[in-house]
Amino acid sequence: MLTSELIKPRLRIHGSTLRVEMVNEHDPFLQQTAQDLICLFQRYKGQSHAAWETAMRAYEGTRLDYVFIRGLAKVLADSATFTPLTTPLSPSMLRERTFAYGPVFEKPDMLHPATRQEVLQEIAYEPGLSIAEHDEMLYADRHASYRLADAGPAWTPVELLARYNLELARGALYWASHITIEVANNYKDLWKFIKLFKLMFLAQPMQGGGYRIDLDGPISPFVTSTLRYGRQLAAFFPVLLLCERWQMHAYVRPPHARRETMYRLDHTCSLRSHFKSSGVFDSRLEEDFASEFEQKVGGKRGHWQLTRESEVLLLGDTVMVPDFVLADTEDEQRRILIELVGFWHPNYLRRKVEKVRAANCAHLLLLVYQGLNVTEEDFQDTASQVIFFQKKPVLKEVMKTVEAMAERVYGPRKKPARRGKK
Amino acid sequence: MNASIFFQGGTLVLHSSENIEHVPAPFQLVKGRWRSEAYHYHEVLPWIRERDIRNAVPRWPRLALELHDTREPHAYQIQSLDAWKQAGGRGSIVLPTGAGKTLVATHAIRHVNSSTVVLVPTTSLVYQWYALLTNVFQTEIGVYYSGEKRVLPLTVTTYHSAGDLIAEYGNTFKLLICDEVHHLPAKTWGEAALMAPAPFRLGLTATYPEEHEQTGERWRLDDLIGPIVYTQRLETLLGVQLAEYRTQRVRVDLTEEERARYEAAHATYLGFVRERGLQRTHGAGWLRELMRLSAVDQDARRAWLARRQILHLLDSCQGKFAALEALLHEHTGKRILVFTESNEVAYKISLQYLVPVISHETKVAERKHILDAFQNGQYSVVITSKALNEGVDVPEAKVAIVLGGGASKREYLQRLGRILRKKEPLEALLVEVLVRNTIEEGKVRRRYVARENG
Repeated sequence: MLTSELIKPRLRIHGSTLRVEMVNEHDPFLQQTAQDLICLFQRYKGQSHAAWETAMRAYEGTRLDYVFIRGLAKVLADSATFTPLTTPLSPSMLRERTFAYGPVFEKPDMLHPATRQEVLQEIAYEPGLSIAEHDEMLYADRHASYRLADAGPAWTPVELLARYNLELARGALYWASHITIEVANNYKDLWKFIKLFKLMFLAQPMQGGGYRIDLDGPISPFVTSTLRYGRQLAAFFPVLLLCERWQMHAYVRPPHARRETMYRLDHTCSLRSHFKSSGVFDSRLEEDFASEFEQKVGGKRGHWQLTRESEVLLLGDTVMVPDFVLADTEDEQRRILIELVGFWHPNYLRRKVEKVRAANCAHLLLLVYQGLNVTEEDFQDTASQVIFFQKKPVLKEVMKTVEAMAERVYGPRKKPARRGKK
Repeated sequence: MNASIFFQGGTLVLHSSENIEHVPAPFQLVKGRWRSEAYHYHEVLPWIRERDIRNAVPRWPRLALELHDTREPHAYQIQSLDAWKQAGGRGSIVLPTGAGKTLVATHAIRHVNSSTVVLVPTTSLVYQWYALLTNVFQTEIGVYYSGEKRVLPLTVTTYHSAGDLIAEYGNTFKLLICDEVHHLPAKTWGEAALMAPAPFRLGLTATYPEEHEQTGERWRLDDLIGPIVYTQRLETLLGVQLAEYRTQRVRVDLTEEERARYEAAHATYLGFVRERGLQRTHGAGWLRELMRLSAVDQDARRAWLARRQILHLLDSCQGKFAALEALLHEHTGKRILVFTESNEVAYKISLQYLVPVISHETKVAERKHILDAFQNGQYSVVITSKALNEGVDVPEAKVAIVLGGGASKREYLQRLGRILRKKEPLEALLVEVLVRNTIEEGKVRRRYVARENG
């Protein structure tokens, strides 16, 4: 992520609205700068971080857009790998040995009979080093001496500029106290990252689908203007871009702003996430289940429609996102949630069972792998239905249970309408 | 399920609390859960016990700490500690600077004999506390600040980093010590103390804030730490011996080539500042204005770069290195501290003369090693950039050489203070190396005048 010095100059405040001045990815001049830096960076493979910094400053020269140049350079360096030189002796041990001789001088005198050269020959003799190697090793553990081992992805200028824009947008959130987002899909990734970044949320279903989610941190309600979670919110931000439709408003107080400002973004912005979506299917088991469903009972063959992760069960301060939702195509109120409990670690399973119990949810069907160390007893006081399976869930049995559950929860099914609702 | 209480990110959270009636005041219903700032732990503990709520907050281990300290506490130190114990292990002790607050702290840690976190204002003080606690308890000490993060039962952190540490590990510390506790009312500085459940709390300072200064932010110092339990005035402790010192200026010249570069850069820089009248229009903030302009105005950008070139040139000109070498020869065998303006030059000297450097990059263990070795005479020279500026205990040096020309008045006095902190009445020497006919001389003149007048 960019440092705040690289963000601040690009923030624009109009009244209570915050805007981030992004760059035009198709501007030929900016593309040329990006191209120059990408090439320059490649050339510094194997050289030290300090050498790269010097080269970058030289490239910058007297240009006024140095904030932009340094920003691009930071993006390049952040996605690259700098590694310390491997040394036969740790640099700190070498220093301890070497400094025992200091101070030394180039020319000998009465009080310093051995010259720098002679002293170093003695020190370097045992580990088998030359004086030049000794000098290189002495501070090899400083970050400035780290070598550029891997220059990172093969950027195109447009990609680099796009990523710079993303970093600017997330950088604005460093000074955010909380954000509100509205999303309609991709919950699994959202929740995975909300947890990862230790954020706290409040989710409310919206009319017309989707959720409105308030994000801040545990201490926020007590110190309402705290910026403690800004870094986490910024880290979280790219996940939002993985959603198809979303909008965000963030409450931001940049250091030079007199009061809180509002920063808004939605899916019409051109930012692209560099995070990887966890993919349509988490596991083989789910994929097989979905395809078998489509083959045997999906489409026109039945009245159930299978969708993935379109619903969220809110459980206190956590959530459960069931794998599938079965919706009756003729009566959308009739919905059965399905969660596949596959080959999980016992701890994960225990938490899952706890969640299910807390959900107290009668229209949830659990398909549990029998090899797991759980029995029906474990699910005794849950409101949910459980089917155990050995190799894979038997679709026929599942659908039979689904029908029975729907009848129990929603009452008998109405006669199929002659004319479809839609 | 039975109700329980746990620690999360600086708050106390009630779990399965549906059947609990009358949840006490510090708790608020936030997003469906009863939550409170963790510092109320001490206050709600009786209620937790009375309601038989499962208490999952404390994760602080008992320790078997022993004091390996030969220093006997003074009477006032013992009194202050007793007062703090009497107050239930909560509150602040006010002692004048140099009266041994840290000794009181180590005895408090020994008394609680459990995991402790120490909050200090600067990374320099992190090093200092690290060295002190390592020596006193002869055990591994954790540090948590921007440069290093290692959490152990006894951990030292900066106020800046403390929030993150406490959010994650707050409930693993039973005792919270706030050094220079008067900083706590400042924005964000108090957050860590607010987020920590530690039932034992000790504040240390020489200047306790007045009542009206306490409420700068959303909390009162007395609420976060407890009241003042002991105050010792300065007057009663006077009589501390100050060493005599003298100062010496060494003036060096730029080489012809350096002089040419200097004059060119100086003309660009000063030309712009004068032409635009920055000092007149922006007063003391003129430098900031120059920096701001340098992103929009080509001439300002050139002036800014010229200024940087000047500072770099003055810091690393040949004459200074020659003078340093001569001084190192002249004072061979004495303990010498060398101050530079930049890290770059500090490391350059280190490599050239094979002497250790302490910078903000130096990790705590190595820093301690260097200072210990300096103290026992194994190292006679230590180079430092700006890392040793803030009130840090350094073994008293006999000679301090200041190579950096940019020393402000404050820094200068601190550097003087460094070699003044002496136990033996030996004469100390401060040598300042200046480049003749440059802005450095002007700086010294201004500082000198300021000292004469004030």
